[in-house]
Amino acid sequence: MLTYVLRRLLIAVPMLLGAMSIVFFAMRILPGDPCVAMMGDQATTEALADCTRNLGLNRPLALQYVDYLWRSVRLDFGNSLRQGYPVSEYIGRMFPHTFILVMASAIVAALVGIPIGIISALKRRNPLIDYPLRIIALLGLSMPVFWLGILLLIVFSLHLDLFPLIGGGDLDGVLGMIRSGEVFSHPADFLAGVGDVLHHLTLPALALGFTLAATVSRLSRSAMLEIISQDYIRTARAKGQGERAVVYKHALRNMMVPLLTIIGIFVAIALTGTVLTETVFTRPGLGKMLVDAIGARDYPLAQGAITVFTMIIILVNLVVDMLYAVVDPRVAYR
Amino acid sequence: MHLRPRFVLVLALLVTLALLVLAAPPAAQAQRRKILNVAAKEPDTLDPHSSTLGQSQAIARFMFRGLTRFAIKDGKVTTTEVEPDLAESWTLSPDGTIWTFKLRKGVQFHKNMGEMTAEDVKFSFERQINKTPGTRYGVNLDVIKSIEVVNPHTVQIALKSFDAIFLLRMVGYQQGYIVSKKAAEKPDQFKWNPVGTGPFYFERNAPREKITLKAFDKFHGGRPQIDEVHWFDVPEDATKLIGLEKGTFDVLYPEAVTADFADQVKKMGAIIDRRGPGGQERFYINMTAKPFDDIRVRRAFMHAIDRKAIKETMYPGDLARVATSCLPTGYFGHVPMTFPEYSPEKAKKLLAEAGHPNGFTIKNYFISKSFFYPKVLTLAQEQLKKVGIIVELQVVEHATFHENIRKNLDPFVLYGGTRITDADPWLSLFFDSREIPDPATGNKGSNFAHYRAIDDLLAAGRLERDQKKRAAIYAEAQKRIERDLVCLPISDVPGQWARNPKRVSTPFDPDYGEYSLHYSYNYPELLKIVN
Repeated sequence: MLTYVLRRLLIAVPMLLGAMSIVFFAMRILPGDPCVAMMGDQATTEALADCTRNLGLNRPLALQYVDYLWRSVRLDFGNSLRQGYPVSEYIGRMFPHTFILVMASAIVAALVGIPIGIISALKRRNPLIDYPLRIIALLGLSMPVFWLGILLLIVFSLHLDLFPLIGGGDLDGVLGMIRSGEVFSHPADFLAGVGDVLHHLTLPALALGFTLAATVSRLSRSAMLEIISQDYIRTARAKGQGERAVVYKHALRNMMVPLLTIIGIFVAIALTGTVLTETVFTRPGLGKMLVDAIGARDYPLAQGAITVFTMIIILVNLVVDMLYAVVDPRVAYR
Repeated sequence: MHLRPRFVLVLALLVTLALLVLAAPPAAQAQRRKILNVAAKEPDTLDPHSSTLGQSQAIARFMFRGLTRFAIKDGKVTTTEVEPDLAESWTLSPDGTIWTFKLRKGVQFHKNMGEMTAEDVKFSFERQINKTPGTRYGVNLDVIKSIEVVNPHTVQIALKSFDAIFLLRMVGYQQGYIVSKKAAEKPDQFKWNPVGTGPFYFERNAPREKITLKAFDKFHGGRPQIDEVHWFDVPEDATKLIGLEKGTFDVLYPEAVTADFADQVKKMGAIIDRRGPGGQERFYINMTAKPFDDIRVRRAFMHAIDRKAIKETMYPGDLARVATSCLPTGYFGHVPMTFPEYSPEKAKKLLAEAGHPNGFTIKNYFISKSFFYPKVLTLAQEQLKKVGIIVELQVVEHATFHENIRKNLDPFVLYGGTRITDADPWLSLFFDSREIPDPATGNKGSNFAHYRAIDDLLAAGRLERDQKKRAAIYAEAQKRIERDLVCLPISDVPGQWARNPKRVSTPFDPDYGEYSLHYSYNYPELLKIVN
């Protein structure tokens, strides 16, 4: 297992390098100049030349590339061209917001999507159950997250006044309390902070979670359909086992493997989904930061964010692959 | 099984607790504090000499001041006259090249950074003239030869030659802001820890969320009534509107004010503060690019464009005005110009005369996907099509658009913008031959018409000290531009912010009671929380 993990980690290095190189060159091939983007119609010839020099963009591309890779090895992605923040620090501040959004929407998507997929597969011959569930899945697939988000905001924030309109809550404060140990000395403040964060998280997680639930339910439905058509399920039924036992004991357990694959895919979809969700709900986070960075041609920020996204996806897939062995004894890694 | 009731009890408690937490109002804010909640985009920096984005310049005015300020006359704020601000008086040498400013005594910088002195004034301008990395407006101070500190409250600025708009350059706007030398000597830190003399001081920045400013007790104009300003990063106009209705925001800085936006603002009982001169949307026609090198084709182009229809579609009613000159209203030197009237028939006739009886096609015309650009261009595209001019659009990122128009890839260019409110900087930027973009030399100027016919007037205007004569020079410049048909202005769009009048009041009339530049509110210290 250890050899396998090490081998996978080694394979991840060229993958990461490839992704970083693609983003580095893609950003530069993309038409548009960071200085022009920054200065807009105020850009004069001299000012643009100064800006290009100050940002080091007049250096040979190869030099910029080597510099970027060397810095990245040390997890130093440079400074944001536009705002001047160190990119690593900036990503460090944004990452927790995106992380909890992905996690919360994963929970929503799993709680909604997996049962719908399973029930829909098991009751596929009962149109009264299957059709409504498939309609719900279809609704989720066809509703863009920004539309559902605005709808949720209008109903639950504007009219019912149950949830805040914008922001991510004082997540920095909560994390600060954990780091400093104040969580034990001021538990009430800590809980209030957590409550505030959850309060801000609910609607975005529901919006993203519900749209993702549709994908999850379709994937779980097809996984379950495949499983219940297997010989061992027929054998179990032939042995006289009740339907419940067949589903819980045989089908669900075996569904864990495709479910893990779904989780791997889910993380990638959820990360891209955070872009729109964070924008609509005006939450700080990596997704929105990435879009702004690309629009502003903020090379270091975009490169840093995409590198982190790539690392997350590689890591999640590695963990998923390792978990295969845990849930399926037939899988052995060498 | 006997555990089940306990489990149910615990679950019920947890659910109740969760509901209480979720339904609880956000972290309680002291009700007594007067907080102004602004919804805008996040600034790219808080260093006022480095900010080119509208939102950055808007927030800068809350924290910084200049030697002069736009004068308040008859209850209105002008943009062509100035009055003392951080300077209490000034004199000009007989040869018109040395300005001596007496500074107001006792003006304090934020965060106990001490009294503002002539050293700070010298530093504020020199950091821009010396092109400290990140600063953007040094070019507006190129007229300065040297700056001398006479004593802590007197500064003398020597110019290379007389500059008619020098006092306008000293207004608290872009290059005119005075910053604390002590704080700004470390520019990287200053970007997000600014220190000025304005009515509010910077307290905290939560990136991608909000910036908090607090009232400055020692502000030389008196402490503002508002205690705190919360500047939220809200990119979506839809979210801003929901927030205005809900009461989350008091003031909105929208990306674009459309008829729908204005209707919604009106329906919820809020108002729009219109501030001239705002931005002007106009076409520059490259007079060196075929077939527009033929003046008949340029005239045909202008006959084909229905300016009023575009303006009404984009900004119905009083959301904007049909532009009357290539130098917008509100700028010193503005005179109304005459443009070829909308007449597709005349356009077709002229095109035929110019050898294009069936019109012509412009392939790969680049237009920005942002702001007003795609909408205005699509409307113009339809109108041009009627006379046989087919424009094949390529909608691109804003940055790409800027890049491509400076490579002269578009034979006519749609453009917007705001500048120092005087004919000289405006006309120099768009019509001085030194600003003709040229990829071969790397010149990325903005004379998209490739115009060369008013260089002499621009030079003369810069030397002229008599304001009446200056006005006459710029009137002549507009006449030549009118004659050569290189610029077609469409709409003068005011700066527009939505405000909840039940929460926030301003002493100025919402309809052009306050002329302003990017920041919209010249005097944020006069905003008041009324409820």
